Amino acid sequence: MPGRERTILWVKQVSVFILLMVSWEVCAAWKWIDPFFFSQPSAVVVRLYKWFTGGSIYLHIYITGIETVLAFLAGALLGIIFGFLFARIPSLAAIFDPYVKIANALPRIALAPIFTLWFGLGILSKVVFGVTLVFFIVFFNTYRGIREVNPNILNNARMLGANERDLFRHVLMPSAMSWILASLHTSVGMALVGAVVGEYLGAARGLGYLIAQAEGVFDTTGVFAGLVVLSFFVLIIDVLVSIIERRLLKWQPSA
Amino acid sequence: MAAREVTFNLNQGEFVTLVGPTGCGKSTLLNLAAGLLTPDSGTVEIFGAPLVGINRFAAYQFQEDVILPWKTAEENVMLGLIFRKTPLSQARATAREWLVRVGLAGFENRYPHQLSGGMRKRVALAQALIVEPRILLMDEPFSALDEQTRQFMEDDLLKICSEFRKSVLFVTHDLEEAIALADRVMVLSAGPGTRIIGDYPVTIPRPREVADIRVNPVFREIFGTIWEHLRGEVMKAYART
Repeated sequence: MPGRERTILWVKQVSVFILLMVSWEVCAAWKWIDPFFFSQPSAVVVRLYKWFTGGSIYLHIYITGIETVLAFLAGALLGIIFGFLFARIPSLAAIFDPYVKIANALPRIALAPIFTLWFGLGILSKVVFGVTLVFFIVFFNTYRGIREVNPNILNNARMLGANERDLFRHVLMPSAMSWILASLHTSVGMALVGAVVGEYLGAARGLGYLIAQAEGVFDTTGVFAGLVVLSFFVLIIDVLVSIIERRLLKWQPSA
Repeated sequence: MAAREVTFNLNQGEFVTLVGPTGCGKSTLLNLAAGLLTPDSGTVEIFGAPLVGINRFAAYQFQEDVILPWKTAEENVMLGLIFRKTPLSQARATAREWLVRVGLAGFENRYPHQLSGGMRKRVALAQALIVEPRILLMDEPFSALDEQTRQFMEDDLLKICSEFRKSVLFVTHDLEEAIALADRVMVLSAGPGTRIIGDYPVTIPRPREVADIRVNPVFREIFGTIWEHLRGEVMKAYART
């Protein structure tokens, strides 16, 4: 897209945001909607200003961030290990197939209370919850990535003298990696969902906790301010994931 | 399965092409020679010893692209050396030599998707030759290329093979290509139960230029003889489809 067109598009996009915010503010100010239940943008901005200058928000961001990263790393590691085992040992895949299907179909949110009971109100219960979400995405992508390697690519590597370890390192893993990276946005997003939902259901810190607390005392301004922080948090993570993706998939033709 | 009672020898430094109708088991024969398949009966012998497992003397050129898309041209070429635990710097230097030899100097750091179809074939050739195989097994390696690129590749292949005295077993369904390249053309019967039904020496002197050879009168004569023989088998195979 040429620079001029892009600027015009950007102006239009920002206009939509301004229009929405102004109408919200005006509706609340003129009492067309009740500010107690709907809050108003100016109040949200003031609240955000207080949070960031008062410094209370940073701990919550930090906790949610840690939970997200740990849930992603643990879920991805387990997903890769099991995906590889299932792909290379077909009998294992055959035996566990129904259980994998059931576990994946189960609404994971139903497990959250159990995890709170087992692992407490701290970080661990959120990480475990996030892992159950991340695991299956990475697991299925690893499985497919390894199963769908062109058999002649494997034959070629064998002819060149590759042993099983070489095949894993130079052929199978990179192939699985391309699938895993293609789903990176989803799996990182799921790690974050796990963290926030876990906090929402029972915690003492974190962005989900912040929103739940505000909601508990009918503090709609607090809920919206929490959502704004969460949105920016997601946006930053998404940009980071895109950068990592571009670096690791530089061998692929750009779509 | 596909082939039955196929017996032939491939001599040192000899270029043999296998032609036959579709589905006659040409690729099966190559996979047997490579050790990727084990024969149901009979043996494959390499330099007098029966073949067990992968044929360590051979390199394989596949019809499709099988170089690794996530590795650069150079990394792809040095792969065989890495598998042999050659030190990295030495593997890299040798890979560069081979890239120059196949005419890809300056393309070391390109990924396969950044190369043309012909260039990818050259990478595959360098990748196979770097491990210094004594036998090259080729399964219609140039069939996906356009005619001109293909003739360049064929000429380069002939040059490299005569320079390094490789034995080559080259499968193709293109009789012109088969004769232009070969010392010996073997004709396979229509499957199932493939046999070798013809073994024709190609007496055209080397070095050859593939583009010129097609108007050579000797070439036309050999082509006529083999085609006469092959046509019947092609008709048989065609009738079955």
